[in-house]
Amino acid sequence: MIDEKILVRKFNRGSKDAFQMLYEKYKDDLLGLAITLLRDRSLAEDVVHDVFVSFAGTTGSFHLSGTLKGYLSTCVANSARDRNRMRSLRDVELDAAEAMNCDSGDPVEHAIDSEQSGQLTQLLGHLPYEQREVVVLHLHHEMRFKEIAEALGISINTVQSRYRYGLEKLRSIMNTMVTK
Amino acid sequence: MKPTENIEEFVRLEKPHVTTGGAMDKRTLNDSFAAMDENIRANKLGAAGIILRSRAARFAAAAVIILAVGLLMVYRNPAVPPPNTVSAAESPAEILTVASLNIAYRRGGMRAVEKQYEEAAEMRGPRPAEISLQELLAEFDSI
Repeated sequence: MIDEKILVRKFNRGSKDAFQMLYEKYKDDLLGLAITLLRDRSLAEDVVHDVFVSFAGTTGSFHLSGTLKGYLSTCVANSARDRNRMRSLRDVELDAAEAMNCDSGDPVEHAIDSEQSGQLTQLLGHLPYEQREVVVLHLHHEMRFKEIAEALGISINTVQSRYRYGLEKLRSIMNTMVTK
Repeated sequence: MKPTENIEEFVRLEKPHVTTGGAMDKRTLNDSFAAMDENIRANKLGAAGIILRSRAARFAAAAVIILAVGLLMVYRNPAVPPPNTVSAAESPAEILTVASLNIAYRRGGMRAVEKQYEEAAEMRGPRPAEISLQELLAEFDSI
């Protein structure tokens, strides 16, 4: 497997193949992140699209300080937060959101995906956006609290308290489900 | 493992596995390639483009311009020599001090030292033709 830094270097020199390889490598992860954050596949696809297009626009001047995955995850999280602020505050149920505007080519594959991720995404949907964001970035995208704090422009204490409250809320929801 | 026991492990393991669709891939890649092409074209604007785009380059360009203007002004209007130079010495005695001769030597070697002696002699005024070099030096020494 070609090293990520080499791919980034080639991308910086204008290689479209390198860009496509980077896209293939991270697109699913980033879409998963955006869906978990926004609970709306259509919006999530727009976010991932915009992030990759603006990343492509940096060719020739892109400087990678950490990992590309961390950088792209941060971009997706920031863009998702903006979208979340902009959209109306109607509460879109996850199931409905997953059902609409899905352009996945294979319905069976999509059904399997939904089943696997459904329970957790549904649970995460009960968390406030800020807590969901921190929990997902830390546990799914392996970002450290410090990285998340820098990416979101908040203090590390805020990140940690959001994470703690998020987990407590998830635990209490699951306890409720178990006792029912 | 019950999910309530280790909520972190549960969330980590249940990471959603979604895949992008063909239409999304096509749209994203097409738009991204277009953005890359546009950026590459913009990069070919040359030095002016680089200067205009980068803040640091703008500052560097401004600094170079200021430096060039400054140098031009210095060369056109050379500064008045500082007062502590040999030519500003007021008497032959001052001209012929060891320090003064040393400075002259550093500036122009033996030629500058000779010139300084000539200046001192001129300041001293005309002397009889029959005066010897030893007498002349003795006269300077006695100043």
